[in-house]
Amino acid sequence: MLNRRHLILIWIILSLLLTALFVLDIILGSVQISVKEVFNVLFTNNTDHPEYSTILYRFRLPKALTALFAGFALSVSGLQMQTVFRNPLAGPFVLGISAGASLGVALLVMGLSAFTVVSEIGVLGNWSVVTAAWLGSGLILFLILAVSARLKDIMTILILGIMFGSATSALVNILQYFSNESMLKAFIVWTMGSLGGVSLSQLNVLIPSVIIGLIISFLLIKVLNAMLVGENYARSMGLNIRLSRIFIFFSTSLLAGTVTAFCGPIGFIGIAVPHIARIVFKTANHKILLPGTMLIGGIVLLLSDIISQLPGYEKTLPINSITALVGIPIVIWIIIRNQKMSTIS
Amino acid sequence: MNRKDNILKIHNLEIGYEVKRNKNNVLFTDINLTGNSGELIALVGKNGIGKSTLLRNIAGLQRAFQGEILYFDKPKDIYSRGEFARLISFVSTEILNVSNLRVFDLVSLGRFPHTNWLGKLKEKDISRSLQALDMVGMQDFKNKNVNEISDGERQRVMIARTLAQNTKMIVLDEPTAFLDLPNKYEIVHLLNSLSKNEHKTIIFSTHDLNIAIQEADKIWLMLDDKIVEGAPEDLILNDTFNHIFENSSLNFDKIKGDFRMKRKHTEKIGLIGEGSYYTWTKKALERLNFSVEKGNESIRHIKVYTEQEQVVWELIPKEHQHLFNNIYDLSLYLKS
Repeated sequence: MLNRRHLILIWIILSLLLTALFVLDIILGSVQISVKEVFNVLFTNNTDHPEYSTILYRFRLPKALTALFAGFALSVSGLQMQTVFRNPLAGPFVLGISAGASLGVALLVMGLSAFTVVSEIGVLGNWSVVTAAWLGSGLILFLILAVSARLKDIMTILILGIMFGSATSALVNILQYFSNESMLKAFIVWTMGSLGGVSLSQLNVLIPSVIIGLIISFLLIKVLNAMLVGENYARSMGLNIRLSRIFIFFSTSLLAGTVTAFCGPIGFIGIAVPHIARIVFKTANHKILLPGTMLIGGIVLLLSDIISQLPGYEKTLPINSITALVGIPIVIWIIIRNQKMSTIS
Repeated sequence: MNRKDNILKIHNLEIGYEVKRNKNNVLFTDINLTGNSGELIALVGKNGIGKSTLLRNIAGLQRAFQGEILYFDKPKDIYSRGEFARLISFVSTEILNVSNLRVFDLVSLGRFPHTNWLGKLKEKDISRSLQALDMVGMQDFKNKNVNEISDGERQRVMIARTLAQNTKMIVLDEPTAFLDLPNKYEIVHLLNSLSKNEHKTIIFSTHDLNIAIQEADKIWLMLDDKIVEGAPEDLILNDTFNHIFENSSLNFDKIKGDFRMKRKHTEKIGLIGEGSYYTWTKKALERLNFSVEKGNESIRHIKVYTEQEQVVWELIPKEHQHLFNNIYDLSLYLKS
């Protein structure tokens, strides 16, 4: 537990870091644009390089905003799942949300191509893909909610989520097997995740959805704290478990489902970031942990995005590889550190 | 307190758990019990008889198949969730192991039914939580993490959480299960003083019968076919305790208030001696399945006496070894 002054210092550092990385993410890229030019384009509209305006508004700014909100969403939904399931390795996708989304996308991309000739593989950033992914994760959410109303033991829900996920992955595999090469590649590229495919008009959907999910999550702080000690204690203190589960699952699906729909399944952020927040803030209290996780989530995904675009080079790496390479060492470290403890949340 | 003022009344309760839809596994039927203000009640019975299930029913975590539980003469359904949580609190057997959870944060979770929907701790909630820690003697631990303290300390913190919840009734499922002997006594004694000083009705299940006999005002005794309630002394005097482990090899010792193994004695032996030397030599001989006859010198017997400030056990009549300096050597010889 940190004292008040420490805590304020950490909040200030994290906020500055987040702002700096956000600016850096806009500046860096295959074309270097100076801070002054960025300022000119965005605020005075008086620039010597009209093409910068296009780059900034069409690509850099949407991408940075996507990274910011996707980071918020994935890490907060991961924290919620770790608390509800009292499991350190739970993440936003344990309910099978990303599997549901990929089933939706796979059905669209590959299923459709079996019947019609799709000439253009404009998969990423395509509204139909977003809708398909959303429908897929919504279907899984619906199944989970239907099942969770009947089940008393939260662990059964965790197992069912994993089973749903595996079953949908199996269906996706079948679809992959029967699809043609170009469709297969389009789908594989989608699964690698991308922050760059979200247009400004799509941000009008992504950002409000994430904000609603985050608001629900912040309203659940008291509930999440009670769930730390397990559902039995939470119930004995007067918590309506069923209703709480519905709200938590809904907010998790909204957060993780939306991000997956627009950016593909981005792994590891959701599992790793809540643990970083616990290490930084040394608390289990969601009043601090939730906003802390959110900030660090934004920081980590912005950082991953900066690394993935390999500043100074033409090429960019898939974001999923970067988050995995950043996230895996953290997850391994957690496992080793927690060998002595039976349950962590 | 008048008998009519029962805070808790359990009437013809049938408990168990649901195996499948419409298929119930009934553990116990026809439970009739009462609980009064300021009373420490120990629930005793053998493993698997349904103690936890009964406690979960009382704590409102599980539904009975039949019968009813009345809290201040009203069933649970009359109360809202919040009202009920301000009436009765619960400590389970589960060992809580949450990393980075401060003792104070855990205890103040008990304020859950008293705070607003954002869970903001007001002045009163903080002082009540600190007071709760004070009552269990854990005030110095408030900034520690719950997984850094011992089992006994954690149990105190869990009790403090129920005190912060500020309920008239507290239900605890085997609060002494993982504790060493001094901690067992201290925890039950703490529960006793809380029931008296704070006028709470505290119900706990336990296997530590002698502690329950010493500290509890009332014992709910779950036997194979019925459940009996009464002061521990009443249950001792009317031989009820002997029925707990009826088919086992245990006997209840009415004088000592504890269970003893039933022994099949094979051989008689006399014992002459005084005070604690007599008592403990007798115990050792009984462990070796001897039937000990006090002062009988007409059969093979043992005499314990002090000679030149040295205690001696002498076996009479003389065998090839007949003088021993301690009970261990004596028992080794008798076994051979």
